[in-house]
Parts: sequence; C-alpha cells; structure tokens
Amino acid sequence: MAIEKMGRDVFIDSNVEEKEGFIRTGIDKLDRLLEGGIPCGFTVVLLGSPGSSTEILVKQIAASGEVTYITTEETKDEILDTMRRFKWQIPNIDFVDISEKYYSNVLKGEQKRVSIYEQRSKMKLKELIEIGSTAIPSTVTSEEDFLAIVSNRTKEIGEKKTIIINSLDFFLSQYGQENVLKTVYAAKVNNLKNKGALLIVMTKGVHGELFERKMEGLADAVLELDVIQKGSSFERYLSVKKMRNYAKKIGIARYVIDDSGFVLEMIERIM
Amino acid sequence: MADAIIEGIRERVAAAIRVNNSVGIQVPEARHEDLLEAVFSSMCKNTQDSWTFVSVSKTFDYLTKVFKEGAQFANIRFIDCISRAAGITDLYKNCIYIESPVMLEKLILEILHNFKGIKKDAEKYIVIDSLSALMIYNDPEIIREFISLLLNRSRSENIHVISILVEEEMDSNKIIQLNDKIIVLRDSFID
Amino acid sequence: MPIKKEVCSTGIDELDLKMDGGIPLGSTVLVTGCSGSGKTTLCMQFLFNGARKGERGVFFTITEPLFKLTKNLEGFAFYDKKLIESGMVNIIDLRIISERLGLDTEKYTVEDAGALLDILKDIADELDVKRLVMDSITALCYRLQTREMIRDFIFKLGTSLAVMNCTTLLTSEVPPRTFKFSQYEIEEFISDGILFLGDVERKGDLIRTLQVIKMRGCAHTRTKFALNISAQRGIELLPLLKTTEFESLLKR
Repeated sequence: MAIEKMGRDVFIDSNVEEKEGFIRTGIDKLDRLLEGGIPCGFTVVLLGSPGSSTEILVKQIAASGEVTYITTEETKDEILDTMRRFKWQIPNIDFVDISEKYYSNVLKGEQKRVSIYEQRSKMKLKELIEIGSTAIPSTVTSEEDFLAIVSNRTKEIGEKKTIIINSLDFFLSQYGQENVLKTVYAAKVNNLKNKGALLIVMTKGVHGELFERKMEGLADAVLELDVIQKGSSFERYLSVKKMRNYAKKIGIARYVIDDSGFVLEMIERIM
Repeated sequence: MADAIIEGIRERVAAAIRVNNSVGIQVPEARHEDLLEAVFSSMCKNTQDSWTFVSVSKTFDYLTKVFKEGAQFANIRFIDCISRAAGITDLYKNCIYIESPVMLEKLILEILHNFKGIKKDAEKYIVIDSLSALMIYNDPEIIREFISLLLNRSRSENIHVISILVEEEMDSNKIIQLNDKIIVLRDSFID
Repeated sequence: MPIKKEVCSTGIDELDLKMDGGIPLGSTVLVTGCSGSGKTTLCMQFLFNGARKGERGVFFTITEPLFKLTKNLEGFAFYDKKLIESGMVNIIDLRIISERLGLDTEKYTVEDAGALLDILKDIADELDVKRLVMDSITALCYRLQTREMIRDFIFKLGTSLAVMNCTTLLTSEVPPRTFKFSQYEIEEFISDGILFLGDVERKGDLIRTLQVIKMRGCAHTRTKFALNISAQRGIELLPLLKTTEFESLLKR
C-alpha cells in the first residue's frame, strides 16, 4: 500500500506535558508523537523487524517508571546492565524473569538425562522397592506453565501500571497460537480494567501473516519498527500503524540509536 | 376371625413350600397385608430356618414398623429394593439396600450371598414381595429372565422361593407359571 | 489326550469359568473402562487372590497415592494386610521410582522409557512375581510421545514378563460410554486380551458390565456379565439379563 504523502513534516521539541488519561513512554519525542503517551487501558503491540533494536526501545520505556517487565529473552541482570550502559535511571522495575526459569529448567533436565543410567547403577533395587512401597511422591511434577505465569501476573497488577512482555516469540515457540492468543486476550482485559498500558513485543514476519493480523486486530495500538536500506545506509523507522480512537496519531518517524538511547528525528503525519 | 384367615394362609403356604421348590402366590391387593402377616409369622416361628425377604413394594422402614418383631430376628435378612430409588437414605444394619429395582443382577447376587455360610441342615427360603412390583420398574421379559435365573440358581442350592404377585398390578400372568406350584388367594375366601 | 493349558485364575469365579479356568499364563491383558468402573478393584482382587495361592504379585500405581489405595482396600474381604506385610502383595508408587531415577519430566525420551522398562523388569525379577498390575497404562502412555514408543514399551514389557511366566494386567482409562478400548488405540492391539468394563442403560439406571473382548489362547464368548462392586466382596459377576439391551437397541 502506497502511503500518500499528504501530511506535514514536523520537528518535535522535547518536554511534553504530563497529560491526564495517558501513560508516558518516557521517550519525549515518542510521547509527542503519541500526543501524550499511551492512552490508559491500551494494549500496544510492538512489531519489530530483526535489527530494528526493539529491545532497546523496550528497555528505555521500562526505565521510565513503574513497570512490570516479563522477560523471556534476557535475564534481569542482562537488562540492568544495558540500562546502566545507557546511563538511564533505573527505577523500581518488577521483573518476571521467565528467561532465567526456562534456562535453568532446560539445564536441569539435561543434567538429569545424562545421569539416569548412572543414577540407576548407584541404587540398590531392594532399597528402591522399599521406598516405592512406602513413600508419597515428594512433588507433583509438572513443567512450569509460563503462560499461566503471564496470566497471573497481569491479573495482580495495580492501576495505571505498565506491563511489558518481551517477547511473545518465546511463548509462541512453547505453546500453540490459540493458547497464546487466549492469554494475551486475558491480559488485555485485565489491563483495560486497571487502566494501565500493556506493551507486547513480537518479531515481525515470523509467526505467519494470519497470526500477526489477529494480534493487530486485538491490539488497541500497533507500533512497528522497520529497517529500510537506502543506498549504502540503513534507515530506521518507527511507524504508528494503528491507534484506536486517535486516527490522527497515525504517523511515521525516523529514528537512530545513540549513546542516550532511542532518538526520534522526524515525524511524518499520515493523516 | 382375621387371625384365623392369616393362620389359614400361613398353613397353606407352608404346606406348599415344604414340597415344592418354588411357590407363586397370586393375591388381591386387599389380602396382600394378610399374606405378609402370614409370611412374617412363618418366618418368626421357624427360627432354625434361614430366610431372605426381598421387598419391592414396601420400604424396610415400613416393614419394621408394621411387623415389629419380625424385623428383628437373626434368621431373617432383608433386601430393600425401593428405598434408595425413592431417595430414602435409611440405614439399618440387618437390611441390604439395592440402588434401584432395575438392578436385578445385583439383587440375585445379594440374595445368593445371604445364604453363604448357612448351616447345611437349615431350610432356606426366599420371599419376593412382589414380582408384580418388580414389573412396574422392569419389562415383563426381563422379569421372566430374572425369575428363571433365580429359580435355577436357588434350585441348585436347595433354596425355596416364594414369590408374591398382586393381582391388580399384574399385566402378565405368564411369569407365575414358571413356579412349581401356584396358589391363588381370593378376596373373600381361600380356594 | 488334550494337554491342560496353564492358566492364572483371577479368583473371580464366573470370569475364570468363562475363560476356561483363568487368563492364559503370561498374558498381558488390558483392563479397560471409564473411571469408577472397577478396574483397580478387579486388579487388586486378582493380586490378592493370587497371593493366597502363593503367587507373589506387584501393583504399580501411577495415578493414586499408596495411602489412598490401601484405604480403599480396607473393608474388602479379599484384602489381607498380612499379605502385604509378608511381601506377597507389593504396592509400589511408580512415580517415586521414576523420581529416584530422575525421570520426573512430563515427557519421556526413548532412553527414559528404556530405563523405566529396565527397572520394571528388574523389580519384577527381584520380587519374583507371577502377577503384575500397572494402573494405569494410560497415564504412562501419556508420557511416551509417539505411538511407536507406546507400542514398543508395552510389547517389550509384555514379552519380558511372559518369559517370567508373569501374568500382567494393564488398566486403561477411556471416557465413559465409548466403544474404544484404549486412549491411544495401540494398547489394545499389542495386548493378549481385553476385559472391558462398561455399562448398559436400563430404565434410566446404569448397570455395570464386564465383557471379555479378546483373550488369546482360550475359547471365550463375548457375552456380557453384569458386574457388581460389593463393598465387602469386591467384584462379582452374573450373566447379564439381556432383554433390556436388545430392547433399547430396537427403540433406537
């Protein structure tokens, strides 16, 4: 679809006033682009092409205030390291570190696997029979349900808080799309009730067009980060593809990443 | 007068069951209670014999109230087929409850079990009150199959079977024909 | 002169009669039914009746914890605590064994399944059992990821126990009122026999039934029994009064 250039180019000044009914992203120019931030209760899907540095944007938003950060790709420590490098203030972030849990589970599973026979050879059969005939299983063994963690955490969060899920890719690799959608939908409903902001990150173009459409349909707002080759250089664009009830906020902005993080350079209004 | 009638019925039934393995008694509703009284008096008198009384028309609770002492004798065991189906949750020790009168196989198993471990020389009797009530809950064909299975089993274990049929409730008289002997009680007199 | 074949009597008279004395020795038999149909009771009765005749047995539970199993056994006439204490009947929680082996994952790899199979064989061998029950094979199959693994597992278990002249019952849970004998539809093909615990409707009430669907190496009829679970006497059978079923079929 060709975007007709009928809008006006705007250079944005910094410092946006705090606006009622919006949650600020903490990136001034982005808040400006969104004219105040993310409307309360909105579910925002952040689609990122590979190389678009979505993870930096997300962390910068996380550094802006009281945020619950569900991380699947990086551990808490890795995230904090990056934040320090950019010299962002590190506020009170509530981390839900699925990444750590997942990798330690995988690791534990692997260790066990190699030692079944070893373990077997160490055990005396008579003792084993004795234990088997008297004991109660110590744990109800079941693998951790990460989707349930997401559901539970998004339910518990207080009013006007920001929740970041980075990223949905992990859940899609572990669970069926239907189940993931259900969880996302439940999180959306909770977020609407809490008048917070729910930011869901997923990689663009890897989960199938249909699923992407479903996610875009479910979201109140869709932000897309793209990398476009221009001659010998790459240009990065952030586009606001969808903004429910705020059609005029649809727009596109070029951005770069510098020492301070995400810098939006220019906004092009489409409407 | 009433006592004489009951005594008369009792003697008649007793005489018939002594020489036959199974006796069917066809009775008008008006005489049903008298017949039961006669049966109970028989059961109480012969304490050396072993009895199993299967009740389909009345709850065990009712029987204990009407035939007070009869329900206490150690030689009489009761199987109640209707309390549970009627939603009554009574629990008496000397009574076995069947969940539903359609559970005929379970009924047979419980009846036969009641006679396990009974002294060899004891006479063994089953009273079914009544086949016509069983037919309210079951198709006549299955009752036929039930009674013929029960009669075959009990014959092989030397158990006598007395089955009662209430005239007014009968929609088939074929079943009673399976018995060795049939007694027909009339409303006003015994023939 | 006909050779008298060796059988393993279940101790449930009507059933043994139907199968010419019992289950052919060393068979692997699937005991199929919905939950509450009496599978576990039947298997326990099989073990305790065997133990009384001097045949040692083992019961592997996967779904029910030990204390619950023994609690349920109390009150049954066939149950005898002494048989457990003397080691004639062994009740083992397979989950604990798996746990000790480090097999506490939801899904087993081929290697995991192999290790489990080995330990089962070793335990059966160590205890020198003539009767083995696995309750339930459905729960175990759930952890085996492919049909091939299920087939392989049951087949290997069955053959190695048959060599020991050990007769095996595997319980298989199916949803109520289905005409499937096993969840994965493989178990039934590998087993030597199937005992199906079902029910028939009679005037709105359900009558429990038992049917010998298949029993290799013995002539049997597929007639249905009415099955009664007596709180004292356990499983009892009586030929099912058939009229109802025929009639209800006609009505449909």
